[in-house]
Amino acid sequence: MKGKFTSIRRILSDFYLVLILIFLYAPILTMMVLSFNTSKSRTQWGGFTLNWYQLMLSDPDILAALSNTLLIAFISALAACILGTAAAIAINSMKPVSRTIVMGITNIPMLNADIVTGISLMLAFIAFGISLGFKTILIAHITFNIPYVILSVMPKLKQTDKSTYEAALDLGASPLYAFFKVVFPDILPGVLSGFLLAFTMSLDDFIITHFTRGAGINTLSTLIYSQVRRGIQPSMYALSTVIFVTVLVLLLITNYKPKETKGRESLSGSSSHLGQTIQKWAMGGAAVFILASVTLVTWKNYSASHTNELYVYNWGDYIDDEVVEMFEEETGIKVTYDMFETNEEMYPVIEAGAVTYDVVCPSDYMIQKMIENDMLAEVDFANVPNISQINPEYMEMSQAFDPENRYSVPYCWGTVGILYNTKRLEELSVEPPESWMDLWDPALQGEILMQDSVRDAFMVALKGLGYSMNTTDEGELQEAKELLIAQKPLVQAYVIDQVRDKMIGGEAAVGVIYSGEMLYIQEEVENLGLDYSLEYVVPKEGTNLWIDSWVIPKNAKNKENAEKWMDFLCRPDIALRNFEYITYSTPNQGAFDLLEPEIQENKAVFPDVDKLENSEVYRYLGDEEEGVYNALWKEVKSR
Amino acid sequence: MSKKLLAGPYLIWMIGFTIIPLALIVYYGLTDRSGAFTLENVLAIATAEHAKALWLSLGLSLAATLICLLLAYPLAMVLRSRGKGASGFMVFIFILPMWMNFLLRTLAWQTLLEKNGVINGILSALHLPTQSLINTWGAIILGMVYNFLPFMVLPIYNVLSKIDDNTINAARDLGADSFQTFLYVLLPLSVPGVISGITMVFVPALTTFVISSLLGGSKILLIGNVIEQEFTRGSNWNLGSGLSLVMMVFILISMALLAKYDKNGEGSTF
Repeated sequence: MKGKFTSIRRILSDFYLVLILIFLYAPILTMMVLSFNTSKSRTQWGGFTLNWYQLMLSDPDILAALSNTLLIAFISALAACILGTAAAIAINSMKPVSRTIVMGITNIPMLNADIVTGISLMLAFIAFGISLGFKTILIAHITFNIPYVILSVMPKLKQTDKSTYEAALDLGASPLYAFFKVVFPDILPGVLSGFLLAFTMSLDDFIITHFTRGAGINTLSTLIYSQVRRGIQPSMYALSTVIFVTVLVLLLITNYKPKETKGRESLSGSSSHLGQTIQKWAMGGAAVFILASVTLVTWKNYSASHTNELYVYNWGDYIDDEVVEMFEEETGIKVTYDMFETNEEMYPVIEAGAVTYDVVCPSDYMIQKMIENDMLAEVDFANVPNISQINPEYMEMSQAFDPENRYSVPYCWGTVGILYNTKRLEELSVEPPESWMDLWDPALQGEILMQDSVRDAFMVALKGLGYSMNTTDEGELQEAKELLIAQKPLVQAYVIDQVRDKMIGGEAAVGVIYSGEMLYIQEEVENLGLDYSLEYVVPKEGTNLWIDSWVIPKNAKNKENAEKWMDFLCRPDIALRNFEYITYSTPNQGAFDLLEPEIQENKAVFPDVDKLENSEVYRYLGDEEEGVYNALWKEVKSR
Repeated sequence: MSKKLLAGPYLIWMIGFTIIPLALIVYYGLTDRSGAFTLENVLAIATAEHAKALWLSLGLSLAATLICLLLAYPLAMVLRSRGKGASGFMVFIFILPMWMNFLLRTLAWQTLLEKNGVINGILSALHLPTQSLINTWGAIILGMVYNFLPFMVLPIYNVLSKIDDNTINAARDLGADSFQTFLYVLLPLSVPGVISGITMVFVPALTTFVISSLLGGSKILLIGNVIEQEFTRGSNWNLGSGLSLVMMVFILISMALLAKYDKNGEGSTF
């Protein structure tokens, strides 16, 4: 009876283990499978390919992020080990009261929320005047790693027998010698596991890095985050597969052998313990070797003295990488390139000055805000002769936010409209949208993708109500807020750059999107051979007519290089290249003339400006009014 | 005495990069933009949108913590019963996903849960109605459970594995059945691990902004999202700091709990 009972229990517990294993590994397996998927879509199988692996290996961003991640993890774990082990020894010999206090402090970074740790460090770096970059990430990682080392070393220290150490001293060993000969071997496993733990924590950290990173520095986590926010590249799946397999193999090697030795506690176990230690050191040695080579490469990249530098801050996926390379080649200027997702996200970075960018690409109303807050330097147009290539129409349009055309060089322009999936709408028996108010059709429940930025969301509601999108009238704004709240149950998600990939993937029926994505979307639909088509419409109430322009912040250190950059991007051949990559309408007449007539006449890409009579350009409404918008938007979001 | 000096560099480091930064949050949280003292930023938690975000965060993270506990405790028991040799490897298998990047793990769930995702794909292949899984509270709880489960398993397993088999045998010899052994022996002895696990799951779940933005479609605003947005988009650092202070109250409560029940750090995760 009893035997039968235990075997049933055994089966049940096995079943439970398997269930949990499925829960843990199913997502990882999915990613592995997707890494071999030809189609970029996450939901359609397009055939087997190794392309994403190739792409990953040839992507300098991923490689740089990988080497940064490993380097930061290694250095921070090492530093934490040294500081932490020393501290643990000291804490161990402290009186209970001071020990409690110090351990309390030690616990803070471990127990505190990452977001608070990250923010507090960011505030401190800015207050101390340390510019955000590689070293700030490193400092932050050391800070949160030390406690892990201390907590791994402390138990081992408690286990060590004080009398052996004292015996060594009695036999004439110096304290240092006695420490390294007697105490250190005992606590070594603790130090090693502390190191591994710190290394892992550092590898995995996103939140703290997110707040403490600076220009052009990405770790894998921050790179993945920015990629996910604008639609993930399958090369990321390839990367995670590689990481997972590497870790699996490494850990299997370290874990497999010690299994033979069971008598850990026994004296004879100490020799196998030693063997285990040696094995760990061998692993460590290999790791050091790998890291040393990574360090060397990184060091070369960083130490090569670039007297000629340029820090660029641009929207995500908003330039052809080759253009950056060409610029570097032609001018010998080293470009450090960084990305933001919304104007609202860009502004505090420039305002705080923790990172000084030389050239930034905000939109219209944000440029106005920066001009009014005296954050921009005037462009010396003598250094930007190619400005003549820009169609004067757009220079005139720019005067809405840059009245004398002194601060900005137009880069891209376009409209905001509704993208819809013809087949999906048919299935739902909904007519193609013509008005913003069609986004309030109850039939579209869970089928709407809205923009996750305050001005764009309010623009949709305000225009739908027939008001100006630059209104400051409280009643109109309240009405718009109520309308957005009423829409929320119908909305599938508030997203920014993801609209594109989600619509291509058939996730939703309608989405609010920037016109510039259209060429890409149409090409992609064709490439994937999808059985639906995606169409773009500018609603009849009018829309946001926007321009993104290059500007130079006042605190720029390389203003002349920034002007060279502006001039370079205005060159028709470069503007054309860029247009072909990002597919947002170019204000560059020279580039426009080089385009095929078919594209010139594509009204989704180049709408007739005179037909957009109801459309407006965003204006900056002042700090106070901006606060009102933000507060209302938060009300919508928190409902 | 010289040993105590070894703590010097560490203490300087911690003062510079833990104490002072936290003091800065307090400073920002209790002042307005002009630098004058105000409680406004802290009291802002009472406004409808912030209070809702806080309650929602509390609710979702408590649910996630509870589910983690319910999943992890039996798992730790099973692992313990497998004996040292086998369980070492098993534990390794169960914490291995931790080595995958946190964001990639969350992204993987996005892939599974999406409207045209893998799960719905399977459902529709079986001619079952598709479900809207993503952008719901459930999806966020799932993301929390998935990401933080190892933090619950490890401390509980650690305390359980330290319990001497003889203790259990003694209870058995004295006539306790399995349930009684569990209730009066194992459970009380594992309290430090459980409490440690609860804090290790609850704090990151309460304050997350990544999981809610990736699996909640930015429709569901948690307190972490509010704070993050005040810093990176709203550029109202004072308000963000004030709200962080409120959140830290909950973290302090967790720390106090941990200190009370886990005095010797027995239940430490690692």
